Amino acid sequence: MSSETLNLTLRVWRQNDPDTPGRFEHYQLNGVSTHMSFLEMLDVLNEQLIESGEEPVAFDHDCREGICGTCSLMINGKAHGPDKATTTCQLHMRRFNDGDTVTIEPWRATAFPVVRDLVVDRSAFDRIISVGGYVSVNTGNAPDGNAIPIAGSQQEVAMDAAACIGCGACVAACKNASAMLFVAAKVSQLAILPQGQLERSERVVSMVTQMDDEGFGSCTNTSECEAACPAEISVSNIARLNREYLRASLCGRD
Amino acid sequence: MDALCRICCIPAELLAKVPGLGPIIRMCCTSVGQKVLMALTGLALCGFLVTHLSGNLLLFAGEEQFNAYAEKLHSMGPLLKMAEVGLLTIFLAHLGLAISTTAMSRRARLKQYAEKESKQEAFAIPNGGASSWMLLTGLGIGAFVLLHLVDLRFELRPDLDYSSATQDGTDKAYATVHLVLSSPVSFVAYGVALILLGIHLSHGIRSALQSLGVSHPRWDKLIEIGSMLFAWAIALGFLCVLGWVALTG
Repeated sequence: MSSETLNLTLRVWRQNDPDTPGRFEHYQLNGVSTHMSFLEMLDVLNEQLIESGEEPVAFDHDCREGICGTCSLMINGKAHGPDKATTTCQLHMRRFNDGDTVTIEPWRATAFPVVRDLVVDRSAFDRIISVGGYVSVNTGNAPDGNAIPIAGSQQEVAMDAAACIGCGACVAACKNASAMLFVAAKVSQLAILPQGQLERSERVVSMVTQMDDEGFGSCTNTSECEAACPAEISVSNIARLNREYLRASLCGRD
Repeated sequence: MDALCRICCIPAELLAKVPGLGPIIRMCCTSVGQKVLMALTGLALCGFLVTHLSGNLLLFAGEEQFNAYAEKLHSMGPLLKMAEVGLLTIFLAHLGLAISTTAMSRRARLKQYAEKESKQEAFAIPNGGASSWMLLTGLGIGAFVLLHLVDLRFELRPDLDYSSATQDGTDKAYATVHLVLSSPVSFVAYGVALILLGIHLSHGIRSALQSLGVSHPRWDKLIEIGSMLFAWAIALGFLCVLGWVALTG
């Protein structure tokens, strides 16, 4: 039976603020329980750093159950670490071996500037959503369930796209730092449903324009995003985004 | 570069004022629109490759048939010139869009990762990672096209005696092709370029279809296999011609 604790060398990106150049720092962390999550391991590292009078490592986290999309981290060159369909907070230390050196970097993209250490500013995603990733509805009583008939198969496809948690792993993993998978998921979840039809054309044009303005790269269809996505969003959504954009450009109102 | 972009944008801004064209022109200025244009120009170039290969395969039919085909083609005069200009325009547009989208993507990640690995299974990486080599394979093919034009369109290779392939004052296409492809320089350069073409197309065709929105859960696998087969059928078709001509000297 393998050991229940690990001794690790951590190679962590440290950067004081967006304008200061960063560097890697090496930390030795002993006695890491294999039952810990990756973020709990970083908590232990921070306790060790605080005890020795050093600045703790800043990293994003919130729900710690794979839902909120707040945690990020490039772990040994892979977005959210080695496991498929897993966020950093769901990654367990049993996936590592005693004596490993673990390299931890922030997402790297011009549109995601480093705020501090491993924390990046992902508000570019919020701005993309704010220009079209919504449906305009009248306020009032909640509509009756099933008031708008939608085929089950259609709901499933829309739900698969809506599973995107907006963590940015697609941008981090893409060699072009493209946000196409994120935008494709957000366009698809609404384009498939009747509620999304009214703003269908304006939505896709505005969101793609905002995506370019934020400085994301272009899509080379390598499918790295799909492999890195913790919500397993399919690249078929990117094809749908392309169709939606072509449709809006050819048939939408001028 | 930015000044060049602004100059290139002037005709686009004028075209955008034509009623009805505005959204299409605006689309062409976005990353999605540029990939759509890359797809359309790339597929148009694939169409040219099919006709080119069909013509080349006539080499197997014999000298008389191939020369008759070449003469018929050259007798088209202005139509052939228009086709050549159209082809050059499409080729340059494809190249320009590749440089534009690559520049966009480089700007999107100025600081590289210290470590970066794929999360795709090695066997599942589409086309063995050809997508990472599109610009390089494309530039290699571009260099080959220049050599090919010097060799056979303008007949300007200094180390070849084109007069030996001339009969009664007119070029004999069959003999010229044999003269050029028998040269070791051409054989190696053409062979390498055709392998680059196969690699380029093996990602390019599938990627072009995805950029145009051609995707369906039922058909995706078939589209992927079909694209791959088409890519290597084209490359191997040309390689067969090259090998056969070199062997028969």
